[in-house]
Amino acid sequence: MFSKVEKYPALTLALIAVSFLIFGYSTSLPKITDFIIFCIFVIGFDLLYGHMGQLSFGHMLYLGAGAYGCGMFAYHVYPDPFLSLLVGVLVGAGLAAILGLVVVKTSHAAFALLNLALNEVGAYLVLSPLHTWTGGEDGLSLFFKSYGFINFSDRTFRFYFCLAALLLVVLLVVRLVRSPYGILLKSIKENETRVKFLGYNTYMYKYVTFIISGAIVGFSGALTSLNLAYCNTSLMAPSRNVEVIFAALMGGAGSVLGAVVGGTAFMTISNYLASYIVRWEMFLGVALLAFAFWFRKGIWGYARKL
Amino acid sequence: MINFIQSILYGLTIGGILYIISIGLSLTFGAMGIVNFAHGLIYAVGAYALYSVATLLGANFLVGALAAVAVSIPLAYLIERFIIRRLYGQSIDYAIIATYAVLLIGADALKWFFGASPLPISDPVGELWYFGGLQMPAFRVIIIALSVLVFLGLSLFFKKTLVGKIVVAGLQDREAVRSLGIKVERYFAIVFVIGSALAALGGVLYAPLSTLDPYMGFEIIILCFAVVIVGGMGNLRGTAIAAFTLGMVHSLTAAYLVSSAADAMVYVVMAVVLIFRPIDAPA
Repeated sequence: MFSKVEKYPALTLALIAVSFLIFGYSTSLPKITDFIIFCIFVIGFDLLYGHMGQLSFGHMLYLGAGAYGCGMFAYHVYPDPFLSLLVGVLVGAGLAAILGLVVVKTSHAAFALLNLALNEVGAYLVLSPLHTWTGGEDGLSLFFKSYGFINFSDRTFRFYFCLAALLLVVLLVVRLVRSPYGILLKSIKENETRVKFLGYNTYMYKYVTFIISGAIVGFSGALTSLNLAYCNTSLMAPSRNVEVIFAALMGGAGSVLGAVVGGTAFMTISNYLASYIVRWEMFLGVALLAFAFWFRKGIWGYARKL
Repeated sequence: MINFIQSILYGLTIGGILYIISIGLSLTFGAMGIVNFAHGLIYAVGAYALYSVATLLGANFLVGALAAVAVSIPLAYLIERFIIRRLYGQSIDYAIIATYAVLLIGADALKWFFGASPLPISDPVGELWYFGGLQMPAFRVIIIALSVLVFLGLSLFFKKTLVGKIVVAGLQDREAVRSLGIKVERYFAIVFVIGSALAALGGVLYAPLSTLDPYMGFEIIILCFAVVIVGGMGNLRGTAIAAFTLGMVHSLTAAYLVSSAADAMVYVVMAVVLIFRPIDAPA
């Protein structure tokens, strides 16, 4: 039954929209807004991990880049929310374009570790040498201009805006994954050497995907800044990389709906169950082991077969 | 000039500790193609074992060091048996995720038993040695000497003993060794335990220079991965050279640029090395 949902993008979008509306109005809108933004992050991460087959252990760097790009533009230049969002996306994509030149040349272990190392460098730069602009440890408190009903201090507006953003990202990524480009990406994941034999420049495809992923993750970072009205170093903390990896694994890597399911499931656990789970990291570790050893398809991988 | 020599000597201490910890990581990487984050846990457990025995029970530092190594061996065996062995021949991403999970579980367990606040361990020698205008804690000299001893010992081990020779051959061509009827994985497991014991020793040596905290494994493991990547995975001499070079980078950055930039500088060097010498993990 669920596998049919994936066949029709309109159905996918409707399912996501309706579930989040029900979820949002039955619990609390600000909380579900966080969920939605995290789902965008997972989709951007999974484009590399699930669809291209490269695990990045440092994608918090691009989340932070987007968040600080948006936040610093609003704080130092001009507090227009849309311009700030655009700057956030551009910073995420631009950073991916620069670092991707090196990062994409590596694969697997070196890819994961290089991303982690660059994340550490980024977190250090934001915390210490750039603290006059980034606010250092305290971060920046942000204010955004409002135009009539476009008012980012209004919770309901933020919820609908982020939901629309998620639907847009889902639509884009579903389109991308089903295009000839996406099929080639999948082939690179399966066997890169053979794709090279066919005459494709696999480096170029991987590089472009890396930039797209950086842009999507940067977008979710910028939305985070916009939603919280502040940005600080926790948005770039290397230790938080495990969250998005866990979410992607739990939902089921390599599927856009899986990323949304995983993002929602992770946020539900960390928001509603964390107060009952005394040893949070231990729980996270055991659950990660379970998904890495026994449930590699993730929740959506099993659910779609129902 | 004195300052410069001092920083070089401090760099040698950091390099020595990095070498002692990285060697196990490099072997696991080269031999089994597994990125082993759990190595950082064994390092942390080593330091905490030292703390429990030497500070809490009040025993001698040497007894504490022995206890650390003794604790690390069964722990390493358990990790090898139940985590690493399941990951042979699997996608490396699952190895990264599973061993990171072990590190998370272990760090949380340490936090559970010992609390989250940093714990100090005093310098066990507590003596300063003077060479001309130069002053150097004796403990740091011991660290440098120990790391050289470990290097010589491992060189002998891999050249002269049967186990060592099999492992070196296995690093070159695992299938060929297996076709001789040798169970390579069993020998890799022995080396895994030796590497882990060395990681615990690294924790013991580093603890008096810094403080203990449950997340200390996370910090060191990324530095060690940088060493392994710069030195070449499974390359024993390369690991030693990379460890001392990066130790030098670390200490000179701290002395002449900004002390908080030291870690970041090591990662920058690693990135630069990867530009000129792209590498892939063994399949």
